[in-house]
Amino acid sequence: MNMMSVCLVAALAPLAGAITAGLFGRQIGRAGAHWVTIIGVALSMIASAIALRDVMDGNLFNGTVYTWATSGGMRFEIGFLIDELSATMMLVVTFVSLMVHIYTIGYMADDPGYQRFFSYISLFTFSMMMLVMSNNFLQLFFGWEAVGLVSYLLIGFWYTRPTAIYANLKAFLVNRVGDFGFILGIALVLVYFGSLDYGEVFALAPGKATERIGAEIGVQWPLITAICICLFIGAMGKSAQFPLHVWLPDSMEGPTPISALIHAATMVTAGIFMVARMSPLYELSETALSLILIIGAITALFMGLLGIVQNDIKRVVAYSTLSQLGYMTVALGASAYSVAIFHLMTHAFFKALLFLAAGSVIIGMHHDQDMRHMGGLRRRMPITWITSLIGSLALIGFPFFSGFYSKESIIEAVHLSKTPAAGLAWIAVTVGVFITALYSFRMYFLVFEGKPRFEVHGSSDAQHGDDAHAHHGPVDPHESPAVVWWPLVALAVPSIVVGAIAIGPLLFGGYFGDSLQVLSKHDVVGKIGEHFHGWLAMGLHGFATVPFWLAAAGVALAWYLYLRRPDIPAKIQSAVRPLYNLLDQKYYMDRFNDWFFAGGARSVGGGLWRFGDVGVIDGVLVNGSAKLVAWLAGVARKVQSGFVYHYAFMMIIGVFVLMTWWFLHL
Amino acid sequence: MEFSIMDLAPAAAEIFLLAAICVILVVDLFVPDERRYLTYGLTQITLVVAALLTAAGIDSAPVYAFSGMFVGDAFSSVLKVGVCLTVAIGLVYSRSYLEPRGMYRGEYFVLALFATLGMMVMISANHFLALYLGLELLSLSLYAMVALARDSARSTEAAMKYFVLGALASGMLLYGMSMVYGATASLAIGDVIAAVQSGHANSTILKFGLVFIVAGIGFKLGAVPFHMWVPDVYHGAPTAVTLMIGTAPKLAAFAFIVRLLVESLGAEQLVVEWRQMLVLLSVASLVLGNVVAIAQTNLKRLLAYSTISHMGFLLLGVLSGTTEGYSAAMFYVSVYVIMGLGAFGMILLMSRKGYEAEELEDLKGLNQRHPWYAFVMLIIMFSMAGIPPTVGFWAKLSVLQAVISIGYVWLAVVAVLFSLVGAFYYLRVVKLMYFDEPAQREAMQVGVDSGVLMSANGIAVLALGMMPGALLAVCERAVTMSLRVAT
Amino acid sequence: MDFEKAAFYFFALILVLAALRVITARNPVHSALSLVLAFFTAAALWLLLEAEFLAIALVLVYVGAVMVLFLFVVMMLDINLDRLREGYWDYLVPALVVAGVMVLEMAVILGGRYFSLAQMPKPPAADPDYSNTRALGEVLYTEYVYAFEIAAVILLVAIVAAIGLTLRKRKDNKYQVPSRQISARRANRVRLVSMPSDKGDSGAAS
Repeated sequence: MNMMSVCLVAALAPLAGAITAGLFGRQIGRAGAHWVTIIGVALSMIASAIALRDVMDGNLFNGTVYTWATSGGMRFEIGFLIDELSATMMLVVTFVSLMVHIYTIGYMADDPGYQRFFSYISLFTFSMMMLVMSNNFLQLFFGWEAVGLVSYLLIGFWYTRPTAIYANLKAFLVNRVGDFGFILGIALVLVYFGSLDYGEVFALAPGKATERIGAEIGVQWPLITAICICLFIGAMGKSAQFPLHVWLPDSMEGPTPISALIHAATMVTAGIFMVARMSPLYELSETALSLILIIGAITALFMGLLGIVQNDIKRVVAYSTLSQLGYMTVALGASAYSVAIFHLMTHAFFKALLFLAAGSVIIGMHHDQDMRHMGGLRRRMPITWITSLIGSLALIGFPFFSGFYSKESIIEAVHLSKTPAAGLAWIAVTVGVFITALYSFRMYFLVFEGKPRFEVHGSSDAQHGDDAHAHHGPVDPHESPAVVWWPLVALAVPSIVVGAIAIGPLLFGGYFGDSLQVLSKHDVVGKIGEHFHGWLAMGLHGFATVPFWLAAAGVALAWYLYLRRPDIPAKIQSAVRPLYNLLDQKYYMDRFNDWFFAGGARSVGGGLWRFGDVGVIDGVLVNGSAKLVAWLAGVARKVQSGFVYHYAFMMIIGVFVLMTWWFLHL
Repeated sequence: MEFSIMDLAPAAAEIFLLAAICVILVVDLFVPDERRYLTYGLTQITLVVAALLTAAGIDSAPVYAFSGMFVGDAFSSVLKVGVCLTVAIGLVYSRSYLEPRGMYRGEYFVLALFATLGMMVMISANHFLALYLGLELLSLSLYAMVALARDSARSTEAAMKYFVLGALASGMLLYGMSMVYGATASLAIGDVIAAVQSGHANSTILKFGLVFIVAGIGFKLGAVPFHMWVPDVYHGAPTAVTLMIGTAPKLAAFAFIVRLLVESLGAEQLVVEWRQMLVLLSVASLVLGNVVAIAQTNLKRLLAYSTISHMGFLLLGVLSGTTEGYSAAMFYVSVYVIMGLGAFGMILLMSRKGYEAEELEDLKGLNQRHPWYAFVMLIIMFSMAGIPPTVGFWAKLSVLQAVISIGYVWLAVVAVLFSLVGAFYYLRVVKLMYFDEPAQREAMQVGVDSGVLMSANGIAVLALGMMPGALLAVCERAVTMSLRVAT
Repeated sequence: MDFEKAAFYFFALILVLAALRVITARNPVHSALSLVLAFFTAAALWLLLEAEFLAIALVLVYVGAVMVLFLFVVMMLDINLDRLREGYWDYLVPALVVAGVMVLEMAVILGGRYFSLAQMPKPPAADPDYSNTRALGEVLYTEYVYAFEIAAVILLVAIVAAIGLTLRKRKDNKYQVPSRQISARRANRVRLVSMPSDKGDSGAAS
């Protein structure tokens, strides 16, 4: 099988599954829907594995499948670029997607929208593959929008819940802001490079490093920086970076499997992937890299802080995702693209694991998501417990777990980076380690350790309005069925080992080849590599680093506050009420957005409505055009009288007009 | 001059068609009414064989026959294949409509074949005489077909109007041709262009003739202000005949324009002249067609005005006067014919015995009655409005590019603005189908043949929108290979 | 005055007189016959101009076909002569004016600078074996055969259309079908019913 067919199978198999399950869901039934989509995704994963093996053998592929249109010298094409970067992403995406597909069989077992759900997640896999495999900006944009669309559909999957509708509207609007920047960036590329093909653009980029734009409006912006920042704004929307992060916590309204797949493991990393893919451009703009560092640092630190005060188990994981995305962004800003992708990969595994474990807990708790109602689940749900523990350890970067290698590399890379603002970012990510440990183990202790709190809570549900749909009667949690825990185990394995296995070749073995480009003055990964002596040494050395002790301190604090002295958090809470409120209200960003953007937009809209709509549009355009239409139609009706001689007269008038025209020309 | 029968080979399709018509005429005499499907089947076979015979010449360099009156080239082959297939598909859609209305008779099919022959003659004409005779053959057949529903006063009236105005237009056209003959002393297209380019021809007489030729063309296309017949005839004619008038003849009319304006009068000093006139016709058509369509309640009338605006778009491609423009116009007209087949075909499919589904009201809630056909109609309406990813988008885009390439940006802006206005009434059709309650709930009864074709038609509109490259390439190749474009 | 000229004036005189008779004769049949005469004489004039084919065509088409058809129509339809005559004198004045203008126009052209006889050189005499029928035929059936054939097709369309639009079987007409009459069999028409002879008491009571 040649590479082209491998690519086509990888991209189209999930699409075929999605179409079958979506259009013929009723005919093939529930089992049919999950079989057809799982087979599609499995095929896609096998094809991805073949592609990765081929790439390892040095067979890169860059080809056009089909030219959609040629317009004014521009070619719009569908094409695949399979190199180390995209092959890695393909395998990660399809693997996690396959796990989620299987898990969904158990999680959605009783849902009436079963077939629809499978169709959506397969469609998502297709879109994500198109995004990852693309060799041009147009297809990238297609994939970008398609994953956004599916995400939007899935957040609002339970469309009868007002909160779900609110959340998906929010996700949609916030992503519009990002996409606006993104499409501006693509437009800049198109205008100044005259091509949308990655290869052509990257080849031209060094020659345009000093070009400036904006002379028409009296400014002198460096072209590459403008492009990079515009594209990064897109990445901020998709990868939920401050201040466009507000949609991601709310997206937890969707079913848990998609939280794992879309809002943790794959889609939100599209922005990270995109920036890594564009590394030849970003390398040319120090300004853009600094901005990325700052944004990433803010997200990594402050979103982690929010995780400490959340009570909804999924929201804790969601804020943790935000924080980890911040880490990846920081790595990008430090020009450590390979490290970012490495963290993306490890994060995909352990975060999907954490989400699916959370889902398993939620199933056990009969869809109650409030951690204050849990506790002591480790005996009742042993597999979920052990896999959660693995995920949490990986997340906080405990030595030898996968997260350790990637996170440690990020901190090291930022430390070595000379890009402006790197010092600030280093502080943020280092403190972030402590925060991560604190909220992760707060969640772990609240859920799995201590005394069960769920038998007694049946009557006091008035204050948790946000999960009014949940079942609040006495529950009896027990281990979830095999289709649910099996993927947990399958994800737990890479969560432990993938870091140790991959760090050597991935970061220091030149694995990414030419797919990532780093200027020598930014080459922090190379510098780390000088001190790298294998995964074992790194793991052992990990016990002696500052981050490890910070993490240990975080765990210890969590243990003390939530297991040993559960009364203290409430006291702290009342002691520093304003700070708590600040965190509880997510820095008032939602309030601010609602008030400033939504409210502002509404009052601007109201004003425009009064003046523009009623006055200009209704008065002049709508009524005016209606009158114009009516008038023209009236004239036409008068002329269209039905009498032949009127028609003939009209024709003669026409000849007369043409004749006059010609005479006037003469 | 030695004559051999092979000299007639380029016109094999036309000769076959004529012979087949005569056979069908005779056979039909002996076919009883209940076996009329024999005539129908023979007609379809004839059309398909004619298309195949034509397709054989699709790659050839221009070949001439009949003392240079006939030319067979890639351009004409593509269009003639299009015409034959369009008529064939139209007849499939029409069958269930004709039967209960007493029009399922030999004459209908024979006249349709005659019209096809007329179109083929027009498309392959290399001489003004052939152009004119082909046009008359087509027109006469169409007049008769419109009048074929003898008991309908509306049809008879429409036929009469069509006939009288058509005669007037023919007169103008002939007058213009005679002027050109006076100036260039020839009716053969090659000689005319040579005389025009030499600069010896009297330019005043030429331009005078040009005005009348443009007027005649304007009538054939239905461009404003020569459009008056279009709404009345589209509305008055039996829908099957409206389908016939609204689709294939547009291909022939396009060829007619190209033969007359481009190949005969395409010299630089004349292009400047007719470009101005076409701009006038085009803008008027775009404005009037799109605006007046909004006020229509009858689907056939609506489509008539929509045709007027589409012809305005077609003229945009022609008036650019470049090879790209001609191929864009050819693409546009091909796309229009595909969409027109679907739209008129849908009216035919929805009609039953004693019931014409031609009011906009009749489309209400089609989605509930028949979701698949509602979807097909949705695609076609989107395409007519020019919304991607349907092929209508590419058609409009390529034409606009041609206009912009000659620096007429304002014209492109006007065209886009008014196609936005046009989107209103196309979308209203969609709204009626999807968001309104149906007035009647009976399911549509659609035959297998027309059902399959209609589905294919809708999918084609979508698929061509996904991959327009092939059709675009065919048009471009046909134009660059065959047309003697003077530049 | 040679023979040619004498013949011309002779035929011209007859033509003018016949044309006058067309509009003055009271009987439309007479008018039609006068028109036949006018056509015939015109054909003779064309012969003098060596346009043999046109002359023959005029006789064949107009005299042989059109006028005979016209005569049929006149004779078969009961035309009210008096109504036709109505307003004859009313139209005379405008008609005379129109005729006067036409004469004037002809005079302008014929006497004008561009078209006067002086501008029109006499065409060279044709060879004795020259036949314009043959010449026409040669052009028509070689160079213009395509146009000729299409024109023929157009006529065929006209026939088909005319028949298609006018021929109809009237449902209210009663007409005989001889073939069906001949093929009628006794079995189709007569049914022999064997009935038991009526005893008279049971059936009559009810």
